[in-house]
Amino acid sequence: MKYSEIIKLNNTLETHLNGQEYKVIILSNIMIHQAKEVCEYLLRVESVNARVSMGEYDNIVQDSAKIQDVSAVLIFWEVCNFIDGFHYKINVLSDDEFQDIIAKIKSEIDLVFDNLKNIPLVLINEFSALIFDQFSLCKNRLNQITEELNAYLIATVGINTRIICINKVLSKLSIDSSIDLRYFYSSKTLYSINFYRKYFEYIKPIFLTSIGKIKKALIFDCDNTLWRGVLGEDGFDNIYMYQEIQYLALKLSQQGVIIGLCSKNNLKDVDDVLTDHPDMVLREDSITIKKVNWNNKVSNLKAIAKDLNIGLDSIVFIDDSSFEVELVKNELPEVTVFQVPEKEYKYGLMMRELGNLFYNPSETKEDIQKLQIYKEQLKRNKDKDSKGSIKDYLVSLGIVLTVHVDDGSQVSRISQMTQKTNQFNLTTKRYTESEIARLINDKSYMVIAINVHDKYGDSGLTGVAIINNVDSKIDTLLLSCRILGRNIEYKFMDIIVDLAKSRKLKVLSSEYIKTNKNQQVVDFYEKCGFDKISELDGNSKYNLQVCNYKNQHIAYIRVNNGS
Amino acid sequence: MEARIKQVMGDIFNIDVNSINDDSSPDNIQNWDSLKHMNLIVALEEEFEIEFTDEEIDNSMSYALIVNMLQNK
Repeated sequence: MKYSEIIKLNNTLETHLNGQEYKVIILSNIMIHQAKEVCEYLLRVESVNARVSMGEYDNIVQDSAKIQDVSAVLIFWEVCNFIDGFHYKINVLSDDEFQDIIAKIKSEIDLVFDNLKNIPLVLINEFSALIFDQFSLCKNRLNQITEELNAYLIATVGINTRIICINKVLSKLSIDSSIDLRYFYSSKTLYSINFYRKYFEYIKPIFLTSIGKIKKALIFDCDNTLWRGVLGEDGFDNIYMYQEIQYLALKLSQQGVIIGLCSKNNLKDVDDVLTDHPDMVLREDSITIKKVNWNNKVSNLKAIAKDLNIGLDSIVFIDDSSFEVELVKNELPEVTVFQVPEKEYKYGLMMRELGNLFYNPSETKEDIQKLQIYKEQLKRNKDKDSKGSIKDYLVSLGIVLTVHVDDGSQVSRISQMTQKTNQFNLTTKRYTESEIARLINDKSYMVIAINVHDKYGDSGLTGVAIINNVDSKIDTLLLSCRILGRNIEYKFMDIIVDLAKSRKLKVLSSEYIKTNKNQQVVDFYEKCGFDKISELDGNSKYNLQVCNYKNQHIAYIRVNNGS
Repeated sequence: MEARIKQVMGDIFNIDVNSINDDSSPDNIQNWDSLKHMNLIVALEEEFEIEFTDEEIDNSMSYALIVNMLQNK
């Protein structure tokens, strides 16, 4: 898309923004003003209410001290402008001068990261000398300083910070088309519009992940998608596995991405391949959901979303047929659809590119467990269909909740829950790991997490509540959708109120903040006996006299106290 | 060609295309500062698939001058 079109569409999108504002500040020691619209536009087309502003020119340290109330900070710290003309002076500096500059930048790095330690998300490009060092085959001081500073970055950054490999963007585009040096010597601009477009495409998933807009499932067609050939026509012995694709998918499944099949085939035929084909990489145990039948793909994908209790916008679908691809794009625009490229050798690269959509900053143990959990849930649903009354079924599950209060070992999972949970989430406040760590250590807050276990297995840490003890208010209350339908939410409220009592809280206030996805909990507080005290634009505030709370007495759920 | 230039200027400066005339310049378009001028040049280069020389960049300081310069490319 042309730059002028980006600016125009960005202005148009600005008038349609709603939802919580996502403020990004870009700090830099060069001029980078053209990044603003490109970054804003790419986030706004994903319905993020993004506002991007720029720091002062070459003022990273001082700017970082002033920043507050932003969602993310992005830092372009260019080696060429460490001091004016550094890229051409560097090789004639004395050793002492050279070491002084390294020491200066290191101390500035310390200051900047200390200043930004409470910002939810910080992105910094690794130091790169590629632009000015592209013709030199020998290692030199530019390499030395970037290597040393990059090692220092890795050793220094906090859990709120991601280091961006900017050299990959430069390589993908070529250095020549990434730079525009015409204003470099007069105005210190360095990069081309081409560069900004590609760069922000690369890093967009990091922003989206930080606000819970994350892809969760990768669904494959089978024929000419997982293998070359048509199983029903060519037969078991005459299909050829796309092993590279399957290995890449296997890796994603190990990161907690749900891998599924949506294929027009006979189920028995496909099952035979999954079990017995010697070259198959993805086996039954790495495939979480299968819709292999002769129904249309639109209804199958809808069923997949429903069975897994995830939104259609969390699904990525791959198919070889133009017909199916267009059908799904038209009928289910929320689903991200990829078509197997006509030229087979391009397929592996495409698969790697789409893998970036599942950006995962830190793989938690739950991610790896999660596939198991989804499978157990599907099995539970099957049991639910086959058994008698729902009550008998719930009793038969033997549900045990383990309660963790201010448990520092759960920081990363708790943060992840606040980022990813959209449906059963009363206030949809997103917290980074560093913020959760702070709340856990802050005596005026109580961070409660519950772990759910039943006879089919461990669902992991799946419920979070954050109570502000000073204001006597429920700041956050959320549960993973995969444990709903078992009245765990009501038992969780019993636990919360008991803890509030133990902290001598008399009136517990709470609120429901409306989003596009949390309609199902609009009346949750009323169901729990809270009194509604106000309502505005679909958002409601509630109070509960703690002494009047009626315990729900759900006998079939046991509660353990963890830590 | 005039229409395309106006469209690009309208997008870059976020102004109504119909308000642009021969006299439009940094003197009467508030948004047209040195940074926006860089944006305008980049956008015109993309639109017409050409590259301006330094001199042309410096001289393109009104709508009429831009038209004149592009006609001579």
